[in-house]
Amino acid sequence: MMALVTVSAIFLRWLPAHGFPILLLFAVSSAAALAIYLTQRRRYSTSSHGIARENVDADITAVLWTAFAGVVLGGLGIGVVLAA
Amino acid sequence: MTNSQPASDEPSPPSRGKIAERLLPGGEEPDPRFTLANERTFLAWIRTSLALLAGGIAIEAFTAGLFLEPVRKGLAIVLLLLGMLLSAGAAVRWLRVERSMRNKAPLPLPLIVPLLAGAGALAAAVVLVFILWR
Repeated sequence: MMALVTVSAIFLRWLPAHGFPILLLFAVSSAAALAIYLTQRRRYSTSSHGIARENVDADITAVLWTAFAGVVLGGLGIGVVLAA
Repeated sequence: MTNSQPASDEPSPPSRGKIAERLLPGGEEPDPRFTLANERTFLAWIRTSLALLAGGIAIEAFTAGLFLEPVRKGLAIVLLLLGMLLSAGAAVRWLRVERSMRNKAPLPLPLIVPLLAGAGALAAAVVLVFILWR
């Protein structure tokens, strides 16, 4: 989550160089960080209960969403670079 | 009075979702430490991917006085593509490792490691050649 927040702040730093399209990157990385922040309590609780009963279900949805956010950020970044 | 019934205040294990049933069929849940370690490894790859994405945009934004435009854009796109591929590859690797652990099979080779090494070496070589010839 903190990595996404840091990256979104770095994206904002490049606003003067790339213009408003960079706001898309900022929005995606901020939204991903916010989603992680809002769900971390539930995921922590699920994991800690799972450790207690020695059976943790793999959180496949979170993994797929995180990877999807990375792919979208990369695609948008390529778009921004090509448009510059 | 009997103690034969299971304690009712213990949380029951959640049922697996449809996506999990479909993408991680068969086998049995591995040791929770291994599942969580697999997730930590995935997150480490995601952090690497985010660093590459940020680096790609940085090269495009801040090296205008250092590199010619085609070199600058090329390097930026290589880094951004690598970040994208790492992000997707991290999820694929997580899935393959999780499947192997569920089925008690040998862990698969990490295909994203040679990808990262190769593309990183390519980017470094491009920068080196450009700096030496500049």
